[in-house]
Amino acid sequence: MKSTSMNPGTLSFRNLDFSAHSSDPFLVNYMRVVPLNTWVLISNFKLAYNLLRRPDGTFNRELAEFLERKVAANTNPVDGVFSFDHVDRATGLLNRVYQPAPENEAQWGILNLEKPLSTTKIVPVILFFHGGSFTHSSANSAIYDTFCRRLVSNCKAVVVSVNYRRSPEHRYPCAYDDGWAALKWVVTRTWLQSGKDSKVYVYLAGDSSGGNIAHHVAVRAAEADVEVLGNILLHPMFGGQERTESERRLDGKYFVTIQDRDWYWRAYLPEGEDRDHPACNIFGPRGKSLKGVNFPKSLVVVAGFDLVQDWQLAYVEGLEKSGREVKLLYLEQATIGFYFLPNNDHFHCLMKEIKEFVNSNC
Amino acid sequence: MGPYDSAISAGSSSGSSSSSTSKPHEIDGLLAGAGYKVRSSDLRQVAQRLERLETVMVNSPSDVSQLASDTVHYNPSDMASWVDSLLSELNNPHALPLPSDLPDFPDLIASPVLNQTTMQNDDAWADPNIIPPHQLKVVTAMEEDSGIKLVHMLLTCAESIQRGELALAGSLIENMQALLTRVNTVCGIGKVAGYFIDALNRRVFAPRGFANNSTYGSAYENEVLYHHFYEASPYLKFAHFTANQAILEAFDGHDCVHVIDFNLMHGLQWPPLIQALALRPGGPPLLRLTGIGPPSPDGHDSLREIGLRLAELAQSVNVRFAFRGVAASRLEDVKPWMLEVSPKEAVAVNSIMQLHRLLGANNTRNLPIEMVLGWIRNLNPKIMTVVEQEADHNQVGFLDRFTEALYYYSTMFDSLEACALQPSKALAEIYIQREICNVVCCEGSARVERHEPLAKWRSRLVQAGFRPLHLGSNAFKQASMLLTLFSSEGYCVEENEGCLTLGWHSRPLIAASAWQAAADVSNPLGIVNHNNGQVL
Repeated sequence: MKSTSMNPGTLSFRNLDFSAHSSDPFLVNYMRVVPLNTWVLISNFKLAYNLLRRPDGTFNRELAEFLERKVAANTNPVDGVFSFDHVDRATGLLNRVYQPAPENEAQWGILNLEKPLSTTKIVPVILFFHGGSFTHSSANSAIYDTFCRRLVSNCKAVVVSVNYRRSPEHRYPCAYDDGWAALKWVVTRTWLQSGKDSKVYVYLAGDSSGGNIAHHVAVRAAEADVEVLGNILLHPMFGGQERTESERRLDGKYFVTIQDRDWYWRAYLPEGEDRDHPACNIFGPRGKSLKGVNFPKSLVVVAGFDLVQDWQLAYVEGLEKSGREVKLLYLEQATIGFYFLPNNDHFHCLMKEIKEFVNSNC
Repeated sequence: MGPYDSAISAGSSSGSSSSSTSKPHEIDGLLAGAGYKVRSSDLRQVAQRLERLETVMVNSPSDVSQLASDTVHYNPSDMASWVDSLLSELNNPHALPLPSDLPDFPDLIASPVLNQTTMQNDDAWADPNIIPPHQLKVVTAMEEDSGIKLVHMLLTCAESIQRGELALAGSLIENMQALLTRVNTVCGIGKVAGYFIDALNRRVFAPRGFANNSTYGSAYENEVLYHHFYEASPYLKFAHFTANQAILEAFDGHDCVHVIDFNLMHGLQWPPLIQALALRPGGPPLLRLTGIGPPSPDGHDSLREIGLRLAELAQSVNVRFAFRGVAASRLEDVKPWMLEVSPKEAVAVNSIMQLHRLLGANNTRNLPIEMVLGWIRNLNPKIMTVVEQEADHNQVGFLDRFTEALYYYSTMFDSLEACALQPSKALAEIYIQREICNVVCCEGSARVERHEPLAKWRSRLVQAGFRPLHLGSNAFKQASMLLTLFSSEGYCVEENEGCLTLGWHSRPLIAASAWQAAADVSNPLGIVNHNNGQVL
């Protein structure tokens, strides 16, 4: 099921700046492609997550929350970015908003919720769904708070991170419902408007399960005539019943196993469903065509060491066949989570691509 | 040269130009941004341990489930020690039983020691998913706008007060009071704004009467309000349960124990601890409790009364118990000799929202806090439990303090919104309102609500010669269970480098930590190096 066609815009990194010669006996193959602190970070997650998933499909949520590193919002700018949380009273849904610091220092710490972001230029608003395979992490997780701040600095955009409900406590379609509610909230905020047209220039973005959510929210948006300018999917979480070549080849090699992927799908999808459910297998036997749907342009980022890549490439192909605009960024030597730390070329490449993607209409 | 570029692996998280070679003892800046503290020089070793841990876990999956359910985890930010603790658990499963946990909650959320004068609304324990319809308030666009306007005006008013432009402040207050009439003040931003406008009003128009009087209302009034705050929200219960769990563990193996409570109030914290000590394996110790509180008027000895009730409870569960009350209007008036600590007993010092009152005005020498922390340290307690508001309300600038207080108390009021327990909810709000007034209206020695955030308390306590005792996943679990008894789902417990915080949604509002005197065998003169907070 592997797609062999790639857009002309594909980039691949064959010449990483990592020296391959070392006499360290401890070396595992994949430590050659990942900086040491990244390896430590992602391995730590992997092991912690192994403790939390129970074979019977339940999840040790208390221990998960205890282990999760979180950070508070900060209305005082740090490195040029400030943040604050908004909670919807009726639903309890929390969104964390990140914005560039006002130029006037006297305005620091004071939230401006009356005026638009700008009346002259366009300021993109990225609605971001964090990853965690639908089960882990939160909008205030340290890794995602840091990532969103970097997004703001890099793109000069506003980022809104959604604290969607997670599985297994809240299965499909809760995450999509929360994403859709967040999108409706974002597009109706006057203080997120910009440009001469006074509208909210919104993009959807997400990594792993967040990418999956971004897709489904975009579908709902298209059906409801809510304009989304683009989708950014960072190694999005897709799957299917079939075992693909990349899954077999990379199983257990780079932090992720087929077994854990299966666990997370069982925890998210309705009980009794299999992985050909349309939430999981977008263009599979139960998928819906997007022909004629006003689906936004997409930037799909695939990590070459991600075992899920065949599904992601199939997704790209599916979008193309539906006549939707899509750019594939294939990072050959990247593992999952490469974007958590800015210590590698893939990270900088990604930031550059995202910046171009959201500023293309300015 | 390794397989990775060491210059890349040890960058700074801010993205500013980082030096190409980092000092090995420094914390890896990028991992710090992810919430983990690992020294650059330890990275390789941590990696090896992670590898080994994975191998062990793969080889014995049944041990993995035990690691998850039985093992107590501590301070996940210190990744090296967390991984090591898991490895040693797997190599050497716990032979001894863990110290007992506090018994189940339903038995212990008993009626408080005093007679019930208020009606208990059992609906508070009902299905948390059902929100009474009248409490689902839809905030209209208009309301939201007026609310935002109010906030802006409040901040502008605070700024003009800071600049000494009281006439302008006064007219802003009048405008805000007018705007309030057009806003829903029953809940949300309108209600909070109302309290802050009131506080500003007092500061500007009635400074003499109010601002110099740090205690409004009698000690009795304060106790009643405190009791309702205890009932209406989980903050104090969290404080008590978390502190008690740590004290229980610290007292493990000791036959004579002595708890010093810096603010006894109605002694609500102690029945669960007494019961837990009664049930502990090996039998209860002799428990002494010294309760500090304000003097009662009219020769009435309320401290003693509370002590008597606690003694009755202790007797009913066969715990040998002795109580002593120490009446003092201010904590700094308490001298260690009044506590009659015996060298044979294990001492626990318990401070629930008291230490901040000792901070005094900034930039004054010989703060009472230093004196008090000094004698606590000399007592060498087995544990000191500290709970404080997680807020920066002791900043020098009025506007900064005001802004912080506005966000903090808005969040706290939000959390109270869904409480259905009356009149506890209304009285709890008055309790909070008094705190707000003290922060906003008072100055100098009258301002006692000088809350400082956990980060500041950490460095202050370390400098004073204490070292942290980490609160672990069992305490976290207890706290989470406590929250399930509350009808609002927004409460949230978080682990913060060995301390626990309780907050509303993502905003921590109260922080609990535990401490012990740091050993200083090498420092007979007690010299503290202030540069790195270490005792030399």
